[in-house]
Amino acid sequence: MTERGGFEGLDSCVHCGFCLQACPTFLATGDEADSPRGRIELMRALEAGELAPNDPGVALHLDRCLGCRGCEPVCPSGVSYGRGLEASRALLAERRGTPPLVRAALAALTGTGGDMRATRLVYALARALRATGVPGKLAGWGRLRFAFGMLAATAPKDGGRRWRSVEVGGGRPRANLHRLPPPSMTSPVLLFRGCVMQGLFPHVHAATVRTLEVNGYAVRDAPGQVCCGALHAHAGLRGEARRLARANVAAFGAGGDADDAPPLIVVNSAGCGAMLKEYGHLLHDESDGVGQRFAARVRDVTELLAERGPRPGAPIDATVAYDPPCHLLHAQRIAAPPEQVLRAIPVLRVISTPDAAQCCGSAGLFTLVEPEMSRAVLQPKLASLAQARPQMIVTGNPGCVMQIGAGLAAAGSPIAVRHPVELLDESYRAAGYYA
Amino acid sequence: MTRDGRSLIAALAGIVGARHVRTALPERITYARDGLPTHRRVPGVVVLPGSRDEVIAIVRLLAALGVPFVPRGAGTGLSGGALADADAVLVVLTRLNRILRIDPRNHLAVVEPGVVNVRLSAAAAPDGLLYSPDPSSQTACTIGGNVAENAGGPHCLKYGVTATHVLALEVVLADGQVVELGSLSGEPWGPDLVGLFVGSEGNFGIATRITVRLLPIPRAVRTLLADFAALRTAGEAVSAVIASGIVPAALEMMDQSCIRAVEDSVYAAGYPRDAAAVLLLELDGAQESAVAADAETIAGILHAHGARSVTVAADAKQRERLWQGRKKAFGAMGRLSRDLVVQDAVVPRSALPDVLETIARIAGAYGLTVSNVFHAGDGNLHPNISFDGRVPGLKARVDEASGEIMAACIAAGGTITGEHGVGLDKLRYMPLLFDGDALAAMRAVRRVFDPEERVNPGKVVPVHACREWVGSVNAERGTRNARADVRSDFRVPTSALET
Ligand SMILES: Cc1cc2nc3c(=O)[nH]c(=O)nc-3n(C[C@H](O)[C@H](O)[C@H](O)COP(=O)(O)OP(=O)(O)OC[C@H]3O[C@@H](n4cnc5c(N)ncnc54)[C@H](O)[C@@H]3O)c2cc1C
Ligand code: SF4
Ligand code: SF4
Repeated sequence: MTERGGFEGLDSCVHCGFCLQACPTFLATGDEADSPRGRIELMRALEAGELAPNDPGVALHLDRCLGCRGCEPVCPSGVSYGRGLEASRALLAERRGTPPLVRAALAALTGTGGDMRATRLVYALARALRATGVPGKLAGWGRLRFAFGMLAATAPKDGGRRWRSVEVGGGRPRANLHRLPPPSMTSPVLLFRGCVMQGLFPHVHAATVRTLEVNGYAVRDAPGQVCCGALHAHAGLRGEARRLARANVAAFGAGGDADDAPPLIVVNSAGCGAMLKEYGHLLHDESDGVGQRFAARVRDVTELLAERGPRPGAPIDATVAYDPPCHLLHAQRIAAPPEQVLRAIPVLRVISTPDAAQCCGSAGLFTLVEPEMSRAVLQPKLASLAQARPQMIVTGNPGCVMQIGAGLAAAGSPIAVRHPVELLDESYRAAGYYA
Repeated sequence: MTRDGRSLIAALAGIVGARHVRTALPERITYARDGLPTHRRVPGVVVLPGSRDEVIAIVRLLAALGVPFVPRGAGTGLSGGALADADAVLVVLTRLNRILRIDPRNHLAVVEPGVVNVRLSAAAAPDGLLYSPDPSSQTACTIGGNVAENAGGPHCLKYGVTATHVLALEVVLADGQVVELGSLSGEPWGPDLVGLFVGSEGNFGIATRITVRLLPIPRAVRTLLADFAALRTAGEAVSAVIASGIVPAALEMMDQSCIRAVEDSVYAAGYPRDAAAVLLLELDGAQESAVAADAETIAGILHAHGARSVTVAADAKQRERLWQGRKKAFGAMGRLSRDLVVQDAVVPRSALPDVLETIARIAGAYGLTVSNVFHAGDGNLHPNISFDGRVPGLKARVDEASGEIMAACIAAGGTITGEHGVGLDKLRYMPLLFDGDALAAMRAVRRVFDPEERVNPGKVVPVHACREWVGSVNAERGTRNARADVRSDFRVPTSALET
């Protein structure tokens, strides 16, 4: 951690207001206290000790921040809002403790209550419940019904029933498809599994492995890896986040002094990716920059695929809306690679709604602990998606898949939400790459 | 306590709902500044009405209680205009953000005051129209705030500032009366009251509905970037361009310090980092060939006046980048130092080269960094002084240097504000420009709209400098004391934070 714990990132704010309209919570309430500029004012006062971390007027508005960092890429002065927020939340957590709901959710979802078996059980039960198809039927707007919608949204979907794969070349499927020879060089990469991804999206991991292999990567496992710590850091639990970070650094090998560079680390959850790339900051005071070196090896799956093209697959005749996850677009500044991945699928039409870059309101546990603001932020997105009428929505973060999926289900829309590699995987399967 | 026994806060909550009344100190602190953060005032109460009717009800309540209030838009103002004291209510208009009507046939739009400037142009674009005044803050500021400040912007050189584009206003006066100013066909008779209200800095009441003119999006556009090795030659080139008789749509200047701040930011536009200054010019019109010919003439003039290079934006994308860099320049100043003051003087265009040198000299004498980014075609200077407010005594030096810069601009035949308004920040310069009688006359005009001086009190006219000040203080003493009682029940203890 830096000397001022991240607060220094706020120093360059000149109060110009250019971030206001990029902030989903300000757009929802019109209240400066729910804006980045207003929150920076609060955070500066917190650091200076002028406001107390247990002052409810402070907590309310910092709690209502999504941490989406939509305010960062529009800021001409390069304010590091996210770091300031984490530093502030650490102060808040120190003073008022962690709400029981957050504690319980963290223990259940990430296993950091200490009992990994319990967590595995939670996910097994969730998958079993999901398989019954009941959650999808119960999806709605209330707290519980929304949670059912979120669970239903994680189910693997068979796209084949929603659209046809187009056959190119009149009747002889795949015969004249552009099939490149497999890349001669295979690069080893290590898959970051995460907790929610591993628990509810193993099919996305499978698709990740297959599509990477087609593009010349050999995907390996890194045993001993744990949750990335993002949910903890967002909740102000820096100590736990650091503990997890150290465990991951050990599991993936610190790399470094050997001649050959350690393998890259591939991640398919934008939220985890953003966190892993922050390890340099999180483990700032650790010996010889292990965090920094770890962070430098982290790549989103779409980055790796885009680097190799990726190889084109078989056509899919469908219109999909790409919705960039905040932690990919704003936090990691990754804009083009996911679209490049989708462009590798012939015929597929990719559209983007005008407010696509705005947060969906998922934001980790936010949807759970701040349901009202979370839904208020989701509404405009659902409205513009309803207008654009895509057949499917594509986004590369588990939280967004669940949030948008649950919102659509509650609104009675049949549109599904999937990860970009799932689509590429389907296209590759149709192209016969896995035969 | 109000007559029916409820407190002011409860009464406000009764109008807008409790969640739209902000009373906690941290919440009020977030409203303590506008875009010029060197001023700080913590408002007594913040209220966020959601409709015009709620605004009217609030103003009537405050009138009945004799409580002062301050309208606020997005809080991007650069003169401390939207700040309220602990004994006043801040009425925030961001939730009044509906575009009520776009009339493409008559080229006009009716909006609520909280509509963000750029959203109106975006909404009008499908009809081939735009809202022309484009302050650099247009992605954040509200049209209500633009009306109150008579905001300008790069393209106001050719098309005129906000006042040129406002046709009619619905205004809630301090006493709660609702008046219509102007009409779609211009003022039917008598004085131009719309013209009077535009630029009144929140001193005449709250604009609740604004009818503006829309213009067709120009069919042909050329954007030129000229690069100069010296500030003086760039200043001279500005006059030469204007003397040519061609009126550019926009003519902006940025100096080296500013160029570098922008080039370090996400809005990097490809300005040459080694240039002492760049000019950004735009020519537009209905005919491609005419605009192309003008662009060629202007490029020739720029070369003849010492431009090292003149480049023309190749496509709409590059044009947008060149403009984004210019428009976000002020926001990028945080890269230079943590604190910033910006001035807003206007000087005769011919004086630009000398004044720019004088400003540099003053800054040098005080050991301060000045960055210039401004509407050169209008002679509207914006020297930005970057400093670290934590250094003891530095802020005082900055204030002194600002005063000297202002005095130099006035001496060159200029004035103290081009578009940011007087607000709080320039009160101290008003007596440099106006004598007691002139100030008294301004105050008298204000009192026609607001006899009690209850809307946005203490701004614009430095009352103590008015000739009739002493008399009026005595006359008013009675009412003031009566008011103090009413206010006392919601006066929130001012903390050490307030300066
Ligand atoms: C980066 C940056 C660039 C800028 N560039 C320009 C520029 O190019 N040109 C320019 O002219 N200005 C510029 N400004 C200044 C500022 O953006 C304008 O003055 C703008 O008009 C203020 O709008 P606002 O909504 O933020 O108003 P606020 O700052 O909230 O309020 C400004 C004043 O208007 C009053 N007011 C607000 N709404 C109403 C209403 N509905 N009825 C009555 N009074 C009201 C307030 O009381 C206050 O006195 C810039 C500011 C920044 C931060
Ligand atoms: S855009 Fe950046 S500098 Fe401007 S108010 Fe927001 S955080 Fe501060
Ligand atoms: S992180 Fe998102 S919600 Fe929080 S202030 Fe920034 S833009 Fe607003």
